[in-house]
Amino acid sequence: MGCPDCEGGAATATQVEGARIVTVGNPNTGKTTLINALAGSDLKVGNWPGTTVERLEAALRLPQGEVRLVDLPGAYGLAPTTPEEALTAQELLRNPPDLVVNVVDAGNLERNLHLTLELAELGLPMVVALNLMDEAAAKGYTLDPAALERELGVPVVPLVASRGEGTEALLQALAHAAVPRLQVRYPDALERAAHELARRLDHPASRWLALALLAGEEVPLELDEEALALARGLRAELERAGIDPFLEIENARYTRAHELAQGTLVGAQPRLTLTDRVDRWVLHPLLGGPIFLLGMLLAFRFTFLFSTPWVDFIGTLQEVLAGWIQHLPLPPLALSFLADGLVGGVGTVISFAPVLFFLYLALAFLETSGFLARAAFIADRMMLLAGLPGRAFIPLILGFGCNVPAVYATRILTSRIDRLRVALAVPFMSCSARLVVFTLFAAVFFPKQAALVVFALYVLGMAVGILSAWVLGRLAGQPPSTGLMELPPYRLPTLRVVIKQAWARTRSFLEGAGGPILLAVLFVWLLLNLPPGDLEHSLYARAAGWLAPLFAPLGIVDWRLLGALIPGFVAKEVVVGTLAVSYLGAEPTAALGFLQGLGQILATLWASLLTTLGAVPALVGFPQLAPPSPDAPTALQAALGAALGPAAALAYMVYVLLYTPCVATVAAIKNEFGRAWALVAVVYELIVAWALAWGVYRLALAWLGG
Amino acid sequence: MRRLADLPEEIPARIRALRASPPLRRRLLALGVRPGVEVRVVRRAPLGDPMEIAVGDTLIAIRHAEAAGVELED
Repeated sequence: MGCPDCEGGAATATQVEGARIVTVGNPNTGKTTLINALAGSDLKVGNWPGTTVERLEAALRLPQGEVRLVDLPGAYGLAPTTPEEALTAQELLRNPPDLVVNVVDAGNLERNLHLTLELAELGLPMVVALNLMDEAAAKGYTLDPAALERELGVPVVPLVASRGEGTEALLQALAHAAVPRLQVRYPDALERAAHELARRLDHPASRWLALALLAGEEVPLELDEEALALARGLRAELERAGIDPFLEIENARYTRAHELAQGTLVGAQPRLTLTDRVDRWVLHPLLGGPIFLLGMLLAFRFTFLFSTPWVDFIGTLQEVLAGWIQHLPLPPLALSFLADGLVGGVGTVISFAPVLFFLYLALAFLETSGFLARAAFIADRMMLLAGLPGRAFIPLILGFGCNVPAVYATRILTSRIDRLRVALAVPFMSCSARLVVFTLFAAVFFPKQAALVVFALYVLGMAVGILSAWVLGRLAGQPPSTGLMELPPYRLPTLRVVIKQAWARTRSFLEGAGGPILLAVLFVWLLLNLPPGDLEHSLYARAAGWLAPLFAPLGIVDWRLLGALIPGFVAKEVVVGTLAVSYLGAEPTAALGFLQGLGQILATLWASLLTTLGAVPALVGFPQLAPPSPDAPTALQAALGAALGPAAALAYMVYVLLYTPCVATVAAIKNEFGRAWALVAVVYELIVAWALAWGVYRLALAWLGG
Repeated sequence: MRRLADLPEEIPARIRALRASPPLRRRLLALGVRPGVEVRVVRRAPLGDPMEIAVGDTLIAIRHAEAAGVELED
C-alpha cells in the first residue's frame, strides 16, 4: 500500500521504531480480533490501571523495529457517554500516541467514519484499517478503499482480521501513516469561533478541543481559566446568533461522513444477512423467550459439566496431600494445621479456577457472538420493573451459577449506580454452593415437597434481589436507566482471544481474592481447633454460643447449627461439612503412601479428562431438572431431624440463602467498588437475611405449627 | 405529529427532531439516530417493549419511552 496521495498531508514521515500505537474504533468493529491477529501469542490481557475496563496490549516486532500496540476501549465518539469512551478520549488527549490505527467496520461506513472524522481533528498520524470486508461483501456491498484513501489522505487497508487477511499490508502501511488531510468544514460562524479558540490552546489536538468546548463538552484536560472563559464567551455568542454548536458540529460531521461513505461504497445490492435470519428466530415474538432461556441453560450446563471434573480433581489432590502430610514427624495439631488449614485453604482458592474459567468462557462467547445483547433486549421489559437496563439481567442470572463472576459481570452496565445496586443484589441469587445445603435440609424436613421448597428458595432469592435493586435505585434518586444499545451483528468469536480473556479474568480473581479466602479458611481452622481437644469446648462452640440470643427469635438455638454459619462465610457448601463434623465427629485423615497417593491422582486425572470429553455429548442431551433422589436418611439427616422443627428449618434455609456473601464474593465486590462497599454488602445482607428468616419463621409457625 | 414510538413495523420514516434529555440525545446521536436520516422499526420485543430499529447499517434497541422523544416527518 503506497498511498501516493498521503505525501502532501503528512508533515513528517512516521518514525515506526519504538512507536506507541493505539487502535481506536467503534464497539464491535473487531478491534480485539485484529490485535490478536497482529500479536498472536504476544497478546497481554489486563485492566486499565485503576479501572475495571479490560486492556489489551502487545509488543510487535516489525522490520523497522519494535512497536507497542495498545487497544483502546470501543467508542462511538470522543465526547464520552460511557466510562470506556471516557478512557479512550483521556488516553488520546493526555497521553497522545505516536500513531493511531482507526478500525472501521466496512459494513457500517457512515457511523464509523463519523469517528474517523473526529479522530482526524486530533492532529495525529493515522492509518485506517477497513475491517470486516467479508461481512460487507455478504451484505452485498462493494467498496473502493482507494477512494477513501484519496479523500482522507491516510493509508486505508482492507482487512478480514478474523482470517488474518490484510494484516501484513496493515503493518507495512504503518510507515506511511499521515495526519489526515481531510477536515470537516463547519458553518462559517462556528469555523471562525473554533479557529479563534484553537489558536489560544497549546495542544496538537487544539481543533478538536476547541470544537468540544464550543459544544459544551467536558474535556479530559486541565485548561487555564482564560481559555475556558473565552470558550464560554464564544459559545454564548453563537447561541445568541441562533446556533446550537453541539447540533451543528454533529450535523456537519455526519453530513461529511455520509458523503465519504457514498464515495467509498461503489455498489450495494442489499441482501438478507445472517443476522437478519438468526434474529427472526432468536427475537421471535413467541419463540424468543424460550430460545433465550434455553441459551442461558446451555451456558450453565456448559460451565458445570466442564468444570465439575476439575473441581473433583483438585479435591483429590487436596486429599492426597493431606494424606502425605500425616507422615511428617509433627504433633497432631501441626499436622491438622498443614492438612486442613493450609492445604484446605489453598485448595479452596484453586477450586474456584475451573468454575470461573468455564463461566467466563461461556460469558465471553455470549458477549462476542452478539447473543448477550439479544438477551438484554428480551429481558429489558422485566428489568425495567426494577428500574434497571436489560443488561442487568446477565449478572443476576450468572449469580445462580456463582456470585463471583456475576459481580464482575456488572461491568457491562454503563452507570456506576446501576453497577453497584446490581452487585448488591447478586449475592441474593442462590449460587450452586447453597443448593447443597438446601437439598440436605429439604430432604430431612420436607421429603415430599423437597423440589418445591428448593425452587421456592430460588424464587425468593431472585425476588429479594430485584426488590433490593429497585429500593436502592429509589434511595439513590436514580434517573431512569436507558435501554438504548446497539444490537451488533452475530459473529463467531475468535477462540484464542476468548480463552485468553477468560484466563486473564480468572487469574486476576485468584490474585485478588486468593489471600482473603486463604485467611478466612485459616481463621475458621483456628476457631475449630483452639484450644485443642473437644470441639464442644473450642472457640468455635463459644462463638456459636454468643450468636445464640440473636437467633433465638428464628427458632434456631443449637450451637452446632449456628456455628456452621461461620465457616459458611468461606463458601456456603462448607456449612454441610461442618454440620457433619459437629454432629458426628471428625473423621481422622488417614495417612497415605506416596505411590498410593500418586496412583489416586493419576486415576482422578484420567477420569476427569474422560468426563470432560464426555461432557460434549451431554451438553446437548436433555437437562436433568429433577433434583437427585433422596437416599435413605443418613446419620446427619437423622441428627438434624432431632435438632430442630420444620419452621426453624425453613428459617435456617432462608438465612443461608440470603446471609453474607461468601468471602470470594466479598473480595470481588471490594475489587470492583472498594473496601467500604464490600463492608456495606456484608452488613446489609446480614440484616436482610435475618429479617426475612424471621418473617418466614413466624409465617411457617402459624402455618405448620412448631 | 408522528413519533418513532408509534411507527408501525417495516414502514420507513424520516427523523425530524430529537426531543430528549441531553444525555439521551448524545447517546442517540452517537449511534447515528439524528434528524434527517431514515429509520425503520424492525420488530418489537416479545414483551412489547423495547423495540428494534434500523438506522443506516446499525440495529438499535430503544425503549418506548425513549422513542417517544424521536419526532418523525409527516
